[in-house]
Amino acid sequence: MALLNRMEWYNLARTTNWTPTYVTEDELFPPSLSGDFDLPLTAWEVYDEPYKQTYPEYVKVQREKDAGAYSVKAALERSRIFENADPGWKSVMKAHYGAIARGEYAAASAEARMMRFSKAPGMRNMSTLGCMDEIRHGQMQLYFPHEHVSKDRQMDWAFKAYDTNEWAMIAARHFFDDIMMTRDAISVSIMLTFSFETGFTNMQFLGLAADAAEAGDHTFANLISSIQTDESRHAQIGGPALKILIANGKKAEAQKRVDIALWGAWKLFSVLTGPIMDYYTPLEHRKQSFKEFMEEWIVAQFERALTDMGLDLPWYWDIFLQELNDTHHGMHLGSYFWRPTVWWNPAAGVTPEERAWLEEKYPGWNETWGECWDVFIDNVVDGNMEKTYPETLPYVCNMCQLPILGVPGKKWNVKDYPLDYNGRLYHFGSEVDRWCFQQDPERYAGHMSIVDRFLAGMIQPMNLEGALKYMNIAPGECGDDAHNYAWAETYRALRETRKAANA
Amino acid sequence: MSEVQVLKPQKTWSHLAARRRKPSEYDIVSTNLHYNNRDANAPYELAPELFMNQWYKQNTFGTALKHADWNAFRDPDEVIYRTYNLMQDGQETYVFGLFDQFNQREHDKSLDARWAGTLARLYTPARYLFHTLQMASAYVGQVSPASTITNCHYFQMADSLRWLSHTAYRTKELSLTFTDKGLGQDERHYWEQDSAWQGFRELMEKVLTVWDWGEAIIVLNMIAKPAVDEAVLRRLGEAARHNGDVLLGLLTDAQLMDVARHRRWLAAFTKMALETEGNKELIQSWIEKWQPLADKAIDAYCSALPDVPNAAEAAKTATRELGF
Repeated sequence: MALLNRMEWYNLARTTNWTPTYVTEDELFPPSLSGDFDLPLTAWEVYDEPYKQTYPEYVKVQREKDAGAYSVKAALERSRIFENADPGWKSVMKAHYGAIARGEYAAASAEARMMRFSKAPGMRNMSTLGCMDEIRHGQMQLYFPHEHVSKDRQMDWAFKAYDTNEWAMIAARHFFDDIMMTRDAISVSIMLTFSFETGFTNMQFLGLAADAAEAGDHTFANLISSIQTDESRHAQIGGPALKILIANGKKAEAQKRVDIALWGAWKLFSVLTGPIMDYYTPLEHRKQSFKEFMEEWIVAQFERALTDMGLDLPWYWDIFLQELNDTHHGMHLGSYFWRPTVWWNPAAGVTPEERAWLEEKYPGWNETWGECWDVFIDNVVDGNMEKTYPETLPYVCNMCQLPILGVPGKKWNVKDYPLDYNGRLYHFGSEVDRWCFQQDPERYAGHMSIVDRFLAGMIQPMNLEGALKYMNIAPGECGDDAHNYAWAETYRALRETRKAANA
Repeated sequence: MSEVQVLKPQKTWSHLAARRRKPSEYDIVSTNLHYNNRDANAPYELAPELFMNQWYKQNTFGTALKHADWNAFRDPDEVIYRTYNLMQDGQETYVFGLFDQFNQREHDKSLDARWAGTLARLYTPARYLFHTLQMASAYVGQVSPASTITNCHYFQMADSLRWLSHTAYRTKELSLTFTDKGLGQDERHYWEQDSAWQGFRELMEKVLTVWDWGEAIIVLNMIAKPAVDEAVLRRLGEAARHNGDVLLGLLTDAQLMDVARHRRWLAAFTKMALETEGNKELIQSWIEKWQPLADKAIDAYCSALPDVPNAAEAAKTATRELGF
């Protein structure tokens, strides 16, 4: 024997709880920050992380991973993949980096919250590594897009997005700040790691990596799949905490946190990832539809994880499964119509071939969402471009901060879910959003949505121009059709053919 | 209508573009990353009066330690995640190489049983102390107003886990040779009860409950951590060498390389803090408030250390050399 086996000393490295006497336990671990659920230090000492890693293993493995991802980047730097990529694919990258990079960096501080305030020593060490991981993800996802910043002003938003009041970023911040930046250590472990990272980052990073590889963007594919290998380790921080809560009769409180986080994650993905997968990614590079990805990576995964844990499916599971057919189509239509307000160029994704694919994946698409696009397409073909742009803002939900929408056409079902709370009227896009708000109204009630701000006169002038100024997005950054409406030529030609046939 | 100006691509992020020099990788990936300073009323995008929003308003942005632009702070070593792992993987290869070599030559069997008892009392319980540093750095990092300051703390947090891990490893290994010293068993008892440790435990428990960022960053980095570095790394290392424990001496030397890096960013930070009028007096007042506790901790620990004359005085003098 020369070196000890890691498991011979691993337990000692995580035996670090002691009984404080110069300050009280509540002073050392304030309940509002540690989230101890009234359980003493000893109850948390049985915490056992399933993915075990030591410090020396960590720095070695991570050095090797970085060497891999950075060398792929370096090798492909002069490959002109970005320049030659389909404009829809560039939009995927821009949306992803803007919404994700600095959010990941912020997650380092959520991990640091678990590190400092969790009463579970194993969690404290795993969160130390998790914190380091999130610095990695923030830094890589800034360094990689920076390569393109001199080619395209919208790439500046990989950095800038989080500093703005751009509407999608308000929604992204509202969600991430709710589940990871303003919660106690144990709630962070449930809401960020168990509810968000286990399934949703898997889908964003592996699902998107599959599309990226198909689209020939190997740098991006490599980057995000490398990130996912870290996620799959630190995403396991929440599970053992849930087990402790359930064993101590705190199932209902644990379940509530899972349900709130999962719903918020779904809404954010419906606007960010749904349009990317079903509209922006060039048709020939799509591996699966967004719904299929969701069913495989999220639905099946959660059904399994929740059952294994002894938790229930969220009460809104049927509503969620139904929304998989619709919500992201509405979010796409909305973000496309309001394209000057986003920092990427949305691809319409509605050529006849793409519509056939959408109809196959989402039966009934043409007679619902398709009807809206028909009007839009007619306006483009007729040259009525002013009708293809918005003049004001859509109504947004006071929980998810995203537009309140319904299914158009024959299934028209838009509905507001209002709530009067302390004399103020709030609006929600769904029963579930309203329920989330009601679980802890004081977290959300004092927040103003972008529409509340508009109505309060905080956005001047009160039109699109004022809104763009408020969002700190200007010409050169504002989105427009990814393909400069080239796709409309097919429809123009179709119309000519029809005219000729009728003549 | 006036001409609409169309923004053109720039060579770097817009927030760095005004500067004349080409940004380094460190600048690109480390600066201005926090977004909780957008709205003084609500650091996070939720109700302004929410508990955690109040926490940041009070402890991060409301501290008396002021600077017009903390985001201008730069780590002189420009450590980024990628280089941290390159550096520390190399360091760990060295340390585990030592463990391997010394194990092969049966180093522990050559140690005096009395020294093994000293290790059980004064060395192996240090994993609790290092863990308190890990926790304290995690806190200061999460409430720092600039990402460049935060990152120094998160790397320092990881370094503390590194020291803790070395300690756990050696605890186990020593316990295989010295089976009657309570190694791997009694560390918590020593940490909680032994007079040598009570000063450090009191100091760290109190440091861990300083919530104001300004006071916390000063007290952790200028008072508490230097006391640990000087007493428990440097003087313990000396005691080890004087007792034939070459391995522990080399190990603390390796850990002190982390300390040297910590002190480089600390020097840059204090220099920056002194740019604001009033900070010098404020920092001085915090030092005066906390130094007696740190001195007490050093005295209690060092007086138990065998074969290092003047250990406490030397350690205290060294902590004061960090002053400004």
